Amino acid sequence: MSAVSYLETFLPQLVLVLFALVMPALDYVFKDKRALAWVAMAPLTALAAALISWLFLGWWEMPVSRLQLLEVNVFTGLFTLVFLFVGIVVVLGSPEFILKDRNQGEYYSLILLAITGMTVVAQATDLIVLFVGLEIAGISSFALSGFRKREKRSAEAATKYFIVGGFSSALTLFAISLLYGVAGTTEIIAIQPVFAGVPAGSDAGPILILATVLLMAGLGFKVAMVPFHMWAPDVYEGAPTPISGLLAAASKKMGFAALFKIFLIGLIVTKTDWQVAIGALAIITMTVGNLIAVSQTSIKRMLAYSSIAQAGYLLIALPVATQYAVAGGLFHVLTHAFMKSGAFMVVAAMGAVAIGEKLDDFKGLNRRSPFLAIAMTLFLLSLAGIPPLAGFASKFVLFSSAVYWSFEPGEGWLIWLAIAGVLNSALSLYYYARVIKYMYMVKGVSEEKVRPPPMLVVSVVFAVVMVVGIGLFPGPFVDACIAAAERFADLPLGWR
Amino acid sequence: MLEGVPIISIIILMPLIGALITFGLGRYGRYARYVALAFSLVALVLSALVAFVFVVEPDSSSPGYHDGGGFFDYQFYEEHTWIEALGIRYIVGLDGISLPLFVLTTLLSTLSIVFSWDTKLRPKEYFGLMLVLEVGVLGVFTTLDYFVFYVFWEVVLIPMYFMIGVWGGPNKDYAAIKFFIYTHIASLALLIAIMAMYFQAGANSFGMEDIWRAGQTEFARMFQIGVFAAAFFGFGVKLPMVPFHTWLPDAHVEAPTAGSVLLAGLLLKMGGYGIIRVAIPTLPLGADALQLVMAVIAIASILYGAMLCLAQKDLKKLVAYSSISHMGFVLLGYATFTQLGVTAGVFQMFAHGLVTAVLFMMCGVVQHHCGTRIIQSLGGLSKKMPSAATMLTIGFLASLGLPGLVSFAAEFMVFVSMYETWGLWLLLPILSVAITAGYYLWALQRSMFGPLTKEIDTSDVHDIDWFEGVPVVVLIALIAIFGVFPLLLFQYIDPAAVTVINLLGLPGGG
Repeated sequence: MSAVSYLETFLPQLVLVLFALVMPALDYVFKDKRALAWVAMAPLTALAAALISWLFLGWWEMPVSRLQLLEVNVFTGLFTLVFLFVGIVVVLGSPEFILKDRNQGEYYSLILLAITGMTVVAQATDLIVLFVGLEIAGISSFALSGFRKREKRSAEAATKYFIVGGFSSALTLFAISLLYGVAGTTEIIAIQPVFAGVPAGSDAGPILILATVLLMAGLGFKVAMVPFHMWAPDVYEGAPTPISGLLAAASKKMGFAALFKIFLIGLIVTKTDWQVAIGALAIITMTVGNLIAVSQTSIKRMLAYSSIAQAGYLLIALPVATQYAVAGGLFHVLTHAFMKSGAFMVVAAMGAVAIGEKLDDFKGLNRRSPFLAIAMTLFLLSLAGIPPLAGFASKFVLFSSAVYWSFEPGEGWLIWLAIAGVLNSALSLYYYARVIKYMYMVKGVSEEKVRPPPMLVVSVVFAVVMVVGIGLFPGPFVDACIAAAERFADLPLGWR
Repeated sequence: MLEGVPIISIIILMPLIGALITFGLGRYGRYARYVALAFSLVALVLSALVAFVFVVEPDSSSPGYHDGGGFFDYQFYEEHTWIEALGIRYIVGLDGISLPLFVLTTLLSTLSIVFSWDTKLRPKEYFGLMLVLEVGVLGVFTTLDYFVFYVFWEVVLIPMYFMIGVWGGPNKDYAAIKFFIYTHIASLALLIAIMAMYFQAGANSFGMEDIWRAGQTEFARMFQIGVFAAAFFGFGVKLPMVPFHTWLPDAHVEAPTAGSVLLAGLLLKMGGYGIIRVAIPTLPLGADALQLVMAVIAIASILYGAMLCLAQKDLKKLVAYSSISHMGFVLLGYATFTQLGVTAGVFQMFAHGLVTAVLFMMCGVVQHHCGTRIIQSLGGLSKKMPSAATMLTIGFLASLGLPGLVSFAAEFMVFVSMYETWGLWLLLPILSVAITAGYYLWALQRSMFGPLTKEIDTSDVHDIDWFEGVPVVVLIALIAIFGVFPLLLFQYIDPAAVTVINLLGLPGGG
C-alpha cells in the first residue's frame, strides 16, 4: 500500500489537527478575535465541500481505502460530514457568544480537536482506534464545557462531565479488553466470525454477555441513553451554549457511530442476546426523555431532555438491524445535527443579546426578534417531526424501517418500537408547542427590539436552510444514506 | 382547454405565493388583506374554471388519466418524481369526489378572507396563515400519493394552531394545544397505517393506485382490519366522530370566526374525504369487517351530537356540536357501501361546508355586534339587526334540512341508502331530525325573536356590515341553488362513487 493511499485515509484528521495546533498561536496575532472563527472555519468548510462534491455531486471518486485501523467509505464520509456541519454551525455561532472571554484560540483549537476525535471514531475499524477517537473527542469536550472556568455552573458541568465521561470510558475499555480476551483481536470485523463459533454454554458465553452489557453502559453514557443520561441536562445547561450544541448534535452522534460499528458489525451474530434489551432501552429512553422535558423551565435543559428522547429514536436502528434501519439512523443523525445545533444557536443568540436562557425568556420573542422566533419555530417543529421539515423525513425512514422488519417472522415486536416512537413524537409536541406558544402568543416583559449578532445569524440561517431544504428535497440525502448503509455492513436489506 | 396546463399545481401555488408575499410585507401589513384576497380570488376563479371544464362522465377518450378498468379516472393529472428511492411521487388529479371539495376550499377560503376584512391584530400573519391553510387543504384534496397526502395533512395543523392560539377567545391557549396534540396523535395513527400499507404492498410506491393494486393480493384480512382501524381512527378524529370529538367544541369556541369557518367547513371534510378516498377502497375487507362499527359510531355521533346541542348556552358551541351530528351523516352514508350512500356522504360534506360556514359567520356577527353569544343574554335582536336575523334563520333552516335547501337533498339520500341497507334501523338516525329542528328553532326563538333583551346594552347594535354580509349572501345563494338543483352537484359525484364501489369490490355494490 503506497503512502498516498495512507494519506487520503486520514487526510481530514491531518488538516484538522494542523489547524488545531496553529489556533492558540493565532490568538496572539489577531486583534479582532472574530478572525479566529473564520480561520477555524477554513478546514471545516474545505473538508465539507470536498465531501459534498464526492458524496452528493459525484465530482470525484474516493478510492475505497481500508487500512488496518482506519477506513474511508460512504458511511464514514457521511458521518464525517455531519460532524463538520455541526462544527461549522458551532464555530459560526461562537465568536459573538464568547466575545469577552479569554483564551479564544484554545477554544477553537479544542473544537477542532473534538471534531477530529469524532471523525476518528467514524472511520475506525479497530476497537482501540475507536476508543482513542472517543477519548480525543471526550477530553476536548470536557475542557470546552469548562471553558468559562470562573463561572460556577460551567466548572460544575465540566467536573460532572469529566467524572461521568471518565467512568464510561473505563467501562468501554474494560469491555474492549474482554472482547479481546475472547476473540484475540481488536479489529471489529474480525471479532464477528469468532463469536459466530462460540458454542452455547461455553466459558466464553458469560464473558461475551458481560462485555455486551459494559459496552451498552459505556457507550450508553456517550449517547445519553436512559438510565445513563443523568449527566446530560446538567452539562448542557452549564456549558457555554454553542458547546451544548456541539455536545448534543455531534458528540452524541459519535456515540452512535461507535454503537453502530460495534453492535452491527462486531456483535451482529449475537444479535439475539442484545436485541430486546436495546429495544426496551430505546423505548424507555424516548419516553423518559420526553416526559421529563415537559416539566423543564430552562430551555437548555429542555433541549437536553429532548435530545435524550431523540437518542431513543436513534436506538431503534440497532434492534431492527437492517440496511434500511441504518440508513434511517444515519438520516436522523444528519437532520438532528441541524435542528438541534440550530436550536442551541438560537438560545446562544438570545444569550448574546442578553435576553436570557430560561423558558420564560421566550415569551413575546416574536416582538423582539421575529427572525429568532421563526427559526426556533422551524427547529422545534422539525424536532417534533412535522412535515415538510427535515425531522419528519428522517423519522419517517427510521420508524418505517421498524414497521417493515416487523413483518419478518419472529420480529413482530419491532412494530412497538415504531408505535412508541410515534406516540413519543406526539408527546414531544406538547413541550415544543409550548415554546412556540410563548414566542407568539404570550406577552413578554419587554418589547424592545433586539438585533442578534451577525455571525450567529449566519449560523442559524445555515441550519434553517438545511432543515427546510432536507425536508423539501430529501431525495439525495435518502439515497446517500442508503448507499452508506449498504457499504457499512452485511445486513439484510430490510425494505422493498 | 387547459390541456397540458398544470392547472392544479398553479391553483395550489396561488395561495402559497400569496402567503409568502403577505408574510414579507413588513411595515405594509395593512395591505395584507388585499394581497390575500387577490390570490385567493385567482385560485377561486381558476378552480371554478376547472369545475366547468371537468368532464362529468369520463371515458377513455376524455382528457386525463385512465387506468382502463373503471377504477381510477383522474382529470388534470400531473405526475413528478419527488423521492425516487422510496417511490414517492407528487401526483395530483381530480375526480368527482375531490372536485366539489376542491372548489369548496377555494370558495370558503376567499369568503373567509372577505369576512375577516376588519382584522386589526397582526393582519400580515393572519391572512398569511389563512392562505397557508388553503394550500394544505387543497393539497389533501388533490394529491394521489400517500406520502404527499400526509405531508399536506400535517401542514394544515400548524396555521390552525396559530389561528386559534393568537386570534382566539379567552381560553385560546388550552384550546390551541388540545387541538394540535389531539389531531396530531390521530395523524400519527394514520402515518403508521400508511407505512404498513406501503411495506405490505411491496410495490416501492406510495401511489394510491399502486398500493391499491398490490393490496388486491398482498393485504390479508387480519392485516386489513388492523390497518383500517388505525386509518379510520386517524380520519375519524378529524371528522369528528363520537367519542373522539372533544377537541372540536374547544377549538371552535375559541377560534376566530374565520378560523371556525375553515375548521368546520374544510378541516372536518379532510377526515370525511380520507375515509372514502383511502380507508374504505384500499382496505375493503377491513372496512367490511368494521362496517357495523362505522354505522354505530355514525348513528351515535348523529344522536349524541344533536342531544348535546340542546344543552348549549353559547350560540357558537351549539353550531359546533351540530357539526358532530351532521358529519355523522357523512359516515353513515359511507357505511352503507352503496353508490347512493357514498354519493350522499360526499354531497353532505359539500352541503355541510356551505351551511356551517353561514352559521359560524352569523355567530361571529352576533359576537361582533352584541359582544356576547350566550343565548340567554340575547333576545329580540331581529328588531335591531333584521337582515342578520333573516340570514341566521335561513342558515338554521338550511341546517335542519328544510326541503329546497342543500342539506335536505344530502340527508334524504343518506336516509334512503340506509333504509336500503339496514331497513327500519333508519328510525334511529331519523330521530335526530326532530331533535335538530328542536334545538335550532328554540335557539332562534330565544336569541332573535321575542322582547328585546335587557341583559346587554343594545343601544349601538347595528345591522350586519358589508364585509360580513357579502360572503353570507353568496353562501345562501349557493345553498338555495344546490338545494333546488341538486343534480348540479350530483352529476359530478355519482360517477365517481361508482369507481369507489368498484374499488371496494364487494358484492352488493352498485
